Amino acid sequence: MASTTPSGNDRKFTFGGLVLDVFTVAYFAFALFPIIWIFLLSLKSQDQLFTTYFAFTPTLEPYKAVLGLSSATESVPFMRYFLNSLIASFGAVFISLLVGVPAAYAFARFKFRGSNDMLFTLLSFRFAPELMVIIPVYVIYQKLHLFDTHLGLIWVFQLITLPLIVWILRSYFQDLTPELEQSALLDGYTRTQAFIKVVLPLVKPGLAAAALLAFIFAWNSFIFPFILTGSNAQTVTVGALAFMGGAKPRYNLTAAASIISLIPPMVLALSIQRYLVRGLTFGAVKG
Amino acid sequence: MSVAANSLPRDPKDGVVSSASRKWRPYLLTLPALILTIGILIPFIQGLMYSFQNRKASSPTWEWIGFRNYQRILTDDNFYHAVGVTSQFAIGATVVETVLGIAVALLLFRSTRLSGVFERFLILPLMIAPIIATIMWRLMMQPSVGILNYMLRPIGLGNIAWTDSPGMAMFSVIMIDVWIYTPFVALLVLAGLRSLPRAPFEAAAVEGAGWWYTFTHLTLPMLWPYILVAVIFRFMDSLKVFDIIWGLTQGGPGDALMAMQPTAYQAAIPNGRLSFGQTYMVILWVIVYITTRILISVLGKAQNRAAGV
Amino acid sequence: MATLALTGIRKEYGKVIALQDLSLDIKDGEFFVLLGPSGAGKTTTLKVVAGLEEPTLGTVSINGRDMANVEPQARRVAMAFENYALYPQETVYDNISFPLRSKRYYRDPAEAKSLIDKVTITLGINHLLQRLPRELSGGQKQRVALARVLVRPADVLLLDEPLSHLDAKLRAAMRAELKSLGELQSTTSLYVTHDYLEALALGDRIAVLREGALVQVGTREDLWHRPIDTFVALAFGQPRINLISGAVTGGTFRHNGGDLAMALPNHDIADGTEIQIGLRPRDLVLGAQDGMPQINGRVWVIEPIGRQREVTVDIGGDTHVAVVTPDQDTAIDSLVTVSCPPSRVLVFDAATGKRIPARNEGWAPIADVPAGEVARG
Repeated sequence: MASTTPSGNDRKFTFGGLVLDVFTVAYFAFALFPIIWIFLLSLKSQDQLFTTYFAFTPTLEPYKAVLGLSSATESVPFMRYFLNSLIASFGAVFISLLVGVPAAYAFARFKFRGSNDMLFTLLSFRFAPELMVIIPVYVIYQKLHLFDTHLGLIWVFQLITLPLIVWILRSYFQDLTPELEQSALLDGYTRTQAFIKVVLPLVKPGLAAAALLAFIFAWNSFIFPFILTGSNAQTVTVGALAFMGGAKPRYNLTAAASIISLIPPMVLALSIQRYLVRGLTFGAVKG
Repeated sequence: MSVAANSLPRDPKDGVVSSASRKWRPYLLTLPALILTIGILIPFIQGLMYSFQNRKASSPTWEWIGFRNYQRILTDDNFYHAVGVTSQFAIGATVVETVLGIAVALLLFRSTRLSGVFERFLILPLMIAPIIATIMWRLMMQPSVGILNYMLRPIGLGNIAWTDSPGMAMFSVIMIDVWIYTPFVALLVLAGLRSLPRAPFEAAAVEGAGWWYTFTHLTLPMLWPYILVAVIFRFMDSLKVFDIIWGLTQGGPGDALMAMQPTAYQAAIPNGRLSFGQTYMVILWVIVYITTRILISVLGKAQNRAAGV
Repeated sequence: MATLALTGIRKEYGKVIALQDLSLDIKDGEFFVLLGPSGAGKTTTLKVVAGLEEPTLGTVSINGRDMANVEPQARRVAMAFENYALYPQETVYDNISFPLRSKRYYRDPAEAKSLIDKVTITLGINHLLQRLPRELSGGQKQRVALARVLVRPADVLLLDEPLSHLDAKLRAAMRAELKSLGELQSTTSLYVTHDYLEALALGDRIAVLREGALVQVGTREDLWHRPIDTFVALAFGQPRINLISGAVTGGTFRHNGGDLAMALPNHDIADGTEIQIGLRPRDLVLGAQDGMPQINGRVWVIEPIGRQREVTVDIGGDTHVAVVTPDQDTAIDSLVTVSCPPSRVLVFDAATGKRIPARNEGWAPIADVPAGEVARG
């Protein structure tokens, strides 16, 4: 087993190698099977649900029902939840970028009083229990009429998106030698121009990755919309649960709702795979 | 090429910025973020104050009651039960994810054709919302349409009640957590493995060191920093577990899975005892803070040790 | 076209003092070289001039105008950074035209193109214009950085080790090229290097820095023949100057061992003073010569270097080096006498390291820095 050494890429066939391949396949069966099976379940019609496991005639009926496109009236407005998720996550990321990019740049380039305090306050948001903030926010939102609104959700999502964006971008800015901007200054550009023309194009991949990751986390958040929204601004993560409940749970619709909810984050994640490690660890590990 | 010779006229006010305004520049850049941070800090601090009040959702009036919430919680069996459930879950999930994650990383690091294909899909469970992942597993565990018992039938395990007993319910939530977060550990450890220098391993190979010796004496010590980052992130997040438990059993059966956040939620929102629930969160926050501190100091020491290898 | 003056510059980074009490007066059109080992504060000096770093104390003025509150982009200085600072996402052409596309130094595209062509042809990088920086060698990047500086108008040029990443041969060629660039001849330039050969070859005047402080400013002749102390003497010349410790008795230098003596006819030094004498390897001649101070030793190593030979001689237990022409015959282990023209003997106070000037220094005709020294490298 040469797998513990960096130089270990033996391609020779060995019995040991075969055993390891079996383990690899076993883990990935565990990791991927649920997604595949739920996808299959989401293609079953109601009467095939209980009769078969794998052999069945696929149908898009569950999707149509979930999205309210079929004639069967659907009590759960999942299409609206989907739009809500989109609006809240996009809005949260947009504001975090607007506010976080200059801040991350300042943290990376200047040493100033209070900079560390602010950075660690942001980091502590990452590890604080969500309810610690949600309970008072719940009370505040009732008063300010922000309960069950997009704006309310966007505001609390900052707890997720802002620390992520500031910390990741700071690590990308730190990777750039400051001499690039300095050179641009001496070449006759203002600081803002130097930032836009020189720095921004270079951190674009990192910026995109941070933004997408923040979007994914906002999208995937459950506890915030669960407590802070009602029927109006509810998101897919809360809405998908609704199909499970009720007197007659519809499992194929639940599966379809799950698949619809997991597609956006999954597609985005695959596009930023290279940047994930740094993003997931707030820049602590540079992957 | 004598461009430099033609001097441009100079405006004496051009580019003049007082040193005071230069000093304020970083603050100006961070100001919007600061305002937003304060916007989050206000409820945060209010939350701290709630724990010294007796706010209830049902009544608009409240008063300061000092440490009475803390007193009540710390003498309440439910609190110790919640602490027990939380630590059982957090330790169980973190240990399994760490061991499995390291194993998966080592398997993928062999860079066979198989591992190349799989690595691409490694992140998928991690990117699914935990609540959605829980719903998916709930469907699989479902007795009539679920696939798990059907597949286990050939080995004589066709009738598992996945969430009916406290023990099985804990097993199931840990399994779901492991399913979601093992890729996180694997991803980090894989990044660590790829950053290891080759020379010590080549030297060990030349000296005829066995793989187990190499693994325990070289690989593992050098990977410590990565593993510890993974452990810190996983352990901290497990202490705040909510989605998976709520999605699977809403804390049941009975109060079997009432960890800290579900307990606080139950108290504060459905039961309306805002201050009481909030006090749970302040205590959890202190626990998280202290644990982070301890883990980070362990991480620092491990990093020093690794640097000395 | 401008003068540049630094007055009492001090720069602190936290507790580290990068520059202390640095004052320089650079004339209009002068090519001024800052020489020093790494960490001496050379780059910091350039950044302070450019306004990229704010000095803790002191003022920078360009053309007599205090730059304290002037932003870098308004100082009309151009700088070539040691790490090139080429914009990785832009082609060579776009890198060079970058300043010409700014509002401040704008040229219309046709004019910009002719300017860029001129500069890049001179620098021999005209064929690289469509490449990206990552496709260039270190030497090519350095020339692109230089082109970007030369293509735009500037009152002061700041050049940070612009030749440091080149191999020896290219460096010698570029040194000659730089010298012939009209821009550099006519524009006030501050040039940073750790290479004394570059300093000697290019500098109208040279300032030697050590640990953030100015050690000596002067022409190449000043620094070569009248170094203020052993630090400056050691900074110039390869092989390095030989320093032999001893004391003076009766106008004669005696080596610590006592068996070695050398007359110092041009110096007035009190008996008993501990001194070091400095002999440059290229000034030494083997064999006793009329009217020259001389010392005895034993040949230790002989090494051919091109047309010359480097002879290492054991003098009183320490090894010292002479560079001699091949016609000066010698063999390993043979006893030799080493002579030195009296005007070339440098004498330093052993306690302070400061040089003790010769009696007739005021009028002694000092020959140029040897051509052999400058041609090396």
